[in-house]
Formats: sequence, structure tokens, C-alpha cells
Amino acid sequence: MTTTTEIEANPSGRTNRQTIGARAELSELAEARIPTLLGLKQLMNGPIRTLLVKGLAGTGKTTVALEILKAAGKGNGAYISSRVPQELLETHIPAMKETLQGQDFLDVRLEDATSALEFVMGLTEPKKVKTIVFDSWDALAKEFDSKERLRAEKTLIAVSNNSGAQLVFVSEEPGATTIDYLVDGILEVSTVEEQDRSVREFTIHKLRGTKIPQRKYLFTLLDGRFTFFEPYTTPSYSEIRKFTAMPDIGEAYSLGSPALDRLLGGMVPGSTLTVEYDEDVPYFALRAIELPPIINFLAMGRSAILLPLPGANTGLTSSVLTRAIGEGAPSERLHILDVLRSSDLKTTSMTKHATPDEIHEVVTNETTRLRKKSVDQAMLHVNSIAALENLFASDLDSLLEVTSQEIITLQQSRDAHILFLPTNSPIRSRILSMSSSHARLSVRDGAVVMFGVKPFTGVYALQHLEDPILPSLTQLV
Amino acid sequence: MNSPYPLPRQDFGPSYLEAVHGGLDKILGESGTASVLFYIKAVDDFPDPAEFDKKLTAIFGPRGAQSLERAIVKDLAMRLKWSLDLMKIEGAFDFKATMVAIENGVRA
Repeated sequence: MTTTTEIEANPSGRTNRQTIGARAELSELAEARIPTLLGLKQLMNGPIRTLLVKGLAGTGKTTVALEILKAAGKGNGAYISSRVPQELLETHIPAMKETLQGQDFLDVRLEDATSALEFVMGLTEPKKVKTIVFDSWDALAKEFDSKERLRAEKTLIAVSNNSGAQLVFVSEEPGATTIDYLVDGILEVSTVEEQDRSVREFTIHKLRGTKIPQRKYLFTLLDGRFTFFEPYTTPSYSEIRKFTAMPDIGEAYSLGSPALDRLLGGMVPGSTLTVEYDEDVPYFALRAIELPPIINFLAMGRSAILLPLPGANTGLTSSVLTRAIGEGAPSERLHILDVLRSSDLKTTSMTKHATPDEIHEVVTNETTRLRKKSVDQAMLHVNSIAALENLFASDLDSLLEVTSQEIITLQQSRDAHILFLPTNSPIRSRILSMSSSHARLSVRDGAVVMFGVKPFTGVYALQHLEDPILPSLTQLV
Repeated sequence: MNSPYPLPRQDFGPSYLEAVHGGLDKILGESGTASVLFYIKAVDDFPDPAEFDKKLTAIFGPRGAQSLERAIVKDLAMRLKWSLDLMKIEGAFDFKATMVAIENGVRA
């Protein structure tokens, strides 16, 4: 776990050029990781010689197969197509045009399976070709009865084994066929539902002789490239960079992150953004949504009040803020009110058994004080509903009433309001009904995904590709 | 083809050619057989055993080629109604020598 000491010991600069995607870097990451993940290092050197990529139409099989072909290196691969000519394939997947043009392309649409086998022998016997993609094998194999198909598949595999070439079979047959038993690895690509949205997922069914640390991964075909997402990794706060203020977007306040601004369009003064999260969303992922708007408000000369999530390390938060924007602004124009800590209650003259009204009064007083220090009197309020629920579990109606009152008050001001709401909150529907916008975070296959419910957006994978305090959002398409 | 083993086409040749197809069919299937024979240019002519072995080895490797050659010999033995015991196809197996032996047997 990153500590305050570690952060202070490792100063570094910061850029605000964090964009959705960080395209070039993602691409490099994908290329570096795919061979490792799919056992392609082993495919190149050892046990995985034959791989079956299966899935229904439109799930991304061809793109996956082309990424594998690309990994073979220019001039070392061949693509045998029984479905589309090269020109059309290049049109369908423009990002793979260079890969296709750098490898042998054999169009066998009008050939029979025997001719296709001859092609493979012609490619493998000189031992030049490293990787051959058969897209799709089942289109040809359907010509055979089951016994003949098995024999043809055995022939192909024997030929490739002898030459050292890897064979990648692409198949649209969802059920197990003879080839499933023969190949060394099976990768299935599919589309799955995530909150009424479709996302792509691949499943590693087998990789002989290779450890499979995780069987399912999310992936995207953004820009025609295969990029998969490993489980969320916490950012290293030792690499926090100096923050550069992000100006307002027209009438809206920036959320302090280009990725969040693109997803949600910033925050209109007087609006309430509710960030709903599942219980398995890592705290660091929530912090990537919580901190950038606060940092940006402070960097813009405005003020903010934060009621942090339960279990938040206030010292760490302060340290992160100091690292990003220096000591002055956080100490002058930010109040972190940890309602679960008795020390905070003392400083605000509250009793241990403060009521929602009393908390509201403290917030109101602090708002008045900090508003005077804000360059344009605008304030940002970031509140954790979970923290308040923990405090007022026996009086949720009062909490709801106070929260509602606060939202209405804020609507009449130029302030912005962000609420962090756990999905299992008993007051969830009431809070959401009062929210101007609603984003949701959940975890799928270990990756953190985020999307807008109001306004409706696509699904994005949340990572930290550049700055550890900012989110990188890559669209899952 | 400069083979030191002139094959008696009228007796041995047709059976050998059929055995090549039959033996390969059992393992590679019809399409596999057709593609292999086409690829090594041995569709209609009965192949010289030494040359045939070399080409099969290039495509399937020594072990793969031996499996296919054993299948051919088995098929040929069935066609000639010979006992497989006489063929010595288990253990160290030399396709060329075996075919010469069969050919000589046919001649005798």
C-alpha cells in the first residue's frame, strides 16, 4: 500500500494531458501484454502451437487473430481467408491493414479444403512462416463428415508441428468440435451484458502447459485494435505530478480530468452528480473520481468541502492534494470533514451523537466561511453517502431530508455537488431521483468499468495510465 | 527418376499406388491424402520409395512420415494378402528397404 511517506519522498512533475484512451500507450501496452497473456510467448517458443479462436459473428475473432499474426513479425505470417478478400478485410479493420500487407494472404473462398491443405503445406514446408491464421476453418471443414474432418485437422496439426509453425484456427462454431480436442489452446470471444450495455469478453478455456492466472478478461476493439484489461491495479502515488488547472467548459465546471469531462460533460453550476459504486470497486478507483474535481476547484481559486468515504485516510488525501497543487490552497480553501472521526467532531463543536441537522449546520457554516475565500464564490461539495449512512443508520429519513434540502439549496447557488453512493444504499433511489447526473462504477473480470446512466454513455474501463490521481477511461466497443 | 529399384509396374506398381492412397487415406483422410500427393507431385505415378520417404519426412517429420509409411505397408500387405509379420514394420523401420523386399517378393 502506498503511504504518505512514500509520496513525500518521491516528488515528480505532473501533466494534465490525461486523455480518454491515451491511444499510443495503450496500443503498446496491448502489444506487449497480448503475447504474454495468450501464451504467445510460449506459442513462439514452446508448448502452444495450435490455437482455436472461437465465438459468434461480430465478437472480434478476426481482430484477435490478426493481433496474433502481427506478433509473428512482418513476413513471418500467413492469413488464409475463406470468408473475405484482402481488400474488404482491410476496409473492415483499417488498423490491421499494415499487418495484412506485411504477411502472405491466401484467398481460398472458391477453393476446397484440399487446396487449403496444400496451401498450408506450401507455406510450412520451407519452414519460413511462423504463424498461419485460418479464418475461418469451419467454413472449409463443413465440407467434411466428422471422421474426414478429424483427419484433415490432424493432418494440418501434424504439418504445422513438423515445421514449427503455429496454426490459429478461427471458428464460428460455438459448441465443441473435433478441433477443440486437438488444439493446444482455446480462446473464446463473446459479448456480455453490463447494465444494459454490451461489452466484449474473452475466455481462455485452455492453454496447454501454460498457467492461466485468470480465465476471463474484458477487451475492446477501439480503433480496430484488440486491447484487453487486466484486473485494476492501484496507482503509485509516488508519481503524482504537478496539476495544471483545467478551465471551465463553457458554463460547466471541469471535473479536473479530460476523461471525466468527456464522459460527463463537466458539472453545471447548481447540479448534483451522483457517482454510484458497487461494493467491490476499489477505493483507489473512487478516489480517481473524487480528487480531480476537488484539485481543479482549488487550482481554479475556488473552495471545496469533502466528506470522505468511510475508511479514507485523510492524511493521505491531504498529502496527495499538497503534492498536486501545493500546501496553500488545500489549507486555505478546503475542509475535509471526516464525520466518522471524533477529532473532526471536536473541531466543529459537535457532539459524538450529532444529528443530520447538526452536520448540515456545520457544513453550512463552513460553506459560508470558504465561499468568501473562493475567487468567484463557487464551491464544490463532495459527500460520501456511505459515511453519512454509517453515522445516521438509525435516522435515514432525517439524513434524506437534510440531503434533499442541501441539494435544493445548492441548485439555487453556483455550487457543484458530487455524491458518492453505494449501490446497496437504502436511500439509493431517493438520492438518484434528486441527481442531475448519474455515473456508475462496477467491477467486471477484475477491471473497473464506468459509464454514465444520466446522461447515457457507453462503458469505459478505468485505469491509471499516466497520472496516478487521474483516471484514464478507455471505451469498450 | 534415377531409382536403383526398377519397379515391376505390371505386378507391383498398381498395388503399391493403391496402397499409398489407401494407407494415407486412413490417417490423413481423402482431402489430406489428395493434398499431400498433389503437393509432392505423386498423384498418378507410383512414387519412388526413397524419394517418397524424403518428401513425406519434409512435410511431417521423421516420426510422422514413418507412421504414414507403416500405414501404406499395412495396406499393401492386405492387398497382397501377405502376413504383416513378414513386413517387419515394428521397431526400426526402413520404408525403402521394406518396399524393395516386398517388390522382390512379388517378383519371386
